[in-house]
Amino acid sequence: MKFFKILLIMLFIVLPLTLFAKSQDKPKKAKTIAELVKMYDSSSCKDCHSDIYEEWKKSLHARSIFGPEHVGRTAATFKTTIELGLKDWQASGVKKPEDVRVKHLMICTKCHLPQLEEAEDSVAQEIVKHIYKFVDEGDENSAAILQQLNINCVVCHNRNAIIHKWTEGYPQKGVVYGTKDGDHPDSTYKKMKKSSVMKESILCGQCHGLGPNFEFDNPSQCATLYGSYLWSYVSEGGTKTCQQCHIQESKLGHNMQSYRSKELYEKAVDMKVDAYAYLWRDVVTPTPAAHVKVELTNKAGHVIPDG
Amino acid sequence: MPIPQQFGRGDKMGRGPYEKSGLIRETSLHPNKTKVEKFEIPLYTEEKKDDKIVRNPIAYDFIVDVELWYLPYGKKDDPDNSIMWKKYTKQINLAKGGK
Ligand code: HEC
Ligand code: HEC
Ligand code: HEC
Ligand code: HEC
Ligand code: HEC
Repeated sequence: MKFFKILLIMLFIVLPLTLFAKSQDKPKKAKTIAELVKMYDSSSCKDCHSDIYEEWKKSLHARSIFGPEHVGRTAATFKTTIELGLKDWQASGVKKPEDVRVKHLMICTKCHLPQLEEAEDSVAQEIVKHIYKFVDEGDENSAAILQQLNINCVVCHNRNAIIHKWTEGYPQKGVVYGTKDGDHPDSTYKKMKKSSVMKESILCGQCHGLGPNFEFDNPSQCATLYGSYLWSYVSEGGTKTCQQCHIQESKLGHNMQSYRSKELYEKAVDMKVDAYAYLWRDVVTPTPAAHVKVELTNKAGHVIPDG
Repeated sequence: MPIPQQFGRGDKMGRGPYEKSGLIRETSLHPNKTKVEKFEIPLYTEEKKDDKIVRNPIAYDFIVDVELWYLPYGKKDDPDNSIMWKKYTKQINLAKGGK
């Protein structure tokens, strides 16, 4: 009996210890925006890759939950999602903005801020607060905070650089994934490893959408461009990758752009026009008319426009 | 613009990414496909003379302007979101005289 008691006590001691050890294995989730920003800090990259950093800074990836500079359309649409969507849906669990959790924002942040998965609901709350402050009051401080959360160097070169994680393993801490293996002089990211998808369209495809996102309890649909790349461009014999057109041929590097930029829109569509005037006879009535024929050929690697 | 379907059912378009889940009508340009649009433009004013319809040319010389605009949010007077991608101009004319 005594032996049994001791065993029980030991079990009690051992059990909490193992539980504790388990919870330590799992990386801790961010509790504040500041903590999430720090987990994905890419400010050091600027010191050595300053050109790439400046290019990236101009792209929409650098303000992926805010949207175009000053306008902040993406932030505004997040608010609409809460007001006209979540609050209106009977079983969403959202009656007021304060009820919004990470799982609610994920219908957008799956692509606009995938690292939100590593944050607690308190971060979702903070984001929502700043979205309302920016959209309703034009608060500049809130706009700046929202723009600290983005698709940055560490997201593409670490977190999202391995897509088939059972095949290749999970992205490791302290590694930048690029096109080769070796040492890397950054003080946090000390190793370089080859990512097998860095030069493949699928790297971009993981966020640029196929159609409805069925994994959510209430599916969303935004970008569907990777779908049209597969089913309309590749299926018709297209062979270029996203990177070839958007990073290399555009000569814009990490400033990935589209319809607003001359480098891309000049290449987007071939337009051929033919026009002439003539006198038609409508039975017997001489009728002056003009004929204009316009031929448009999309030269991009997907439909125009996306949406 | 493509016309996405609201909640993947029925005849209503959905606009916000939170309510789109499908496609009612596809109007976008597909890669490496040529889309042809033809326009017939009447160049006359009409009147009745002695019970007969007469169509008089409004002029003999015309300038045809064809502009291709990208309007992601549907409005031309939105400076950040309306971009003219291409412009084509041609002088055309109707012959004077003859029958
Ligand atoms: C102290 C300077 C320094 C800092 C800081 C630095 N890098 Fe680098 N990085 C380099 C150098 C130098 C190379 C090229 C190494 C080589 O080719 O052997 C490199 C290579 C890379 C590569 C691989 C390039 C390829 O051709 O595949 C990636 C990706 C990369 N860095 C990303 C980052 C990111 C992300 C950060 C910030 C977290 C960062 N670097 C910070 C100096 C730096
Ligand atoms: C499948 C990934 C994905 C999901 C899910 C997603 N988006 Fe997007 N969204 C994108 C990408 C990629 C773009 C940029 C591509 C484009 O503009 O064609 C974009 C563009 C946008 C834009 C236009 C920004 C601009 O430049 O004007 C808005 C607004 C937007 N998203 C809001 C949302 C909201 C709100 C949700 C959630 C209800 C959402 N998105 C869900 C991937 C996604
Ligand atoms: C949206 C994803 C994405 C983001 C964000 C991103 N990169 Fe890259 N990066 C790529 C891809 C894709 C390539 C390979 C380009 C190619 O195919 O030529 C690349 C290539 C590189 C290279 C090696 C080739 C070169 O151009 O010298 C370096 C170094 C690099 N990135 C650093 C950075 C840094 C630093 C940042 C942040 C300022 C950053 N990247 C942000 C996707 C990204
Ligand atoms: C982690 C997700 C993610 C990855 C990976 C990613 N993107 Fe994006 N991309 C986005 C989102 C989200 C936006 C829109 C941000 C906004 O304005 O709200 C965007 C915007 C863009 C735009 C601008 C669209 C516009 O409306 O002007 C281009 C071009 C683009 N991405 C190309 C690429 C290419 C090329 C790659 C691969 C090298 C890539 N992206 C990888 C999520 C991603
Ligand atoms: C053959 C060259 C080419 C390829 C391949 C290509 N793009 Fe594009 N892309 C363009 C051009 C040109 C535009 C400008 C037209 C436009 O904005 O619609 C564009 C526009 C875009 C836009 C803005 C769409 C919109 O609604 O206007 C996004 C986002 C984008 N590309 C992402 C990608 C991604 C992601 C891939 C790979 C899956 C890719 N592109 C492959 C040439 C290409």
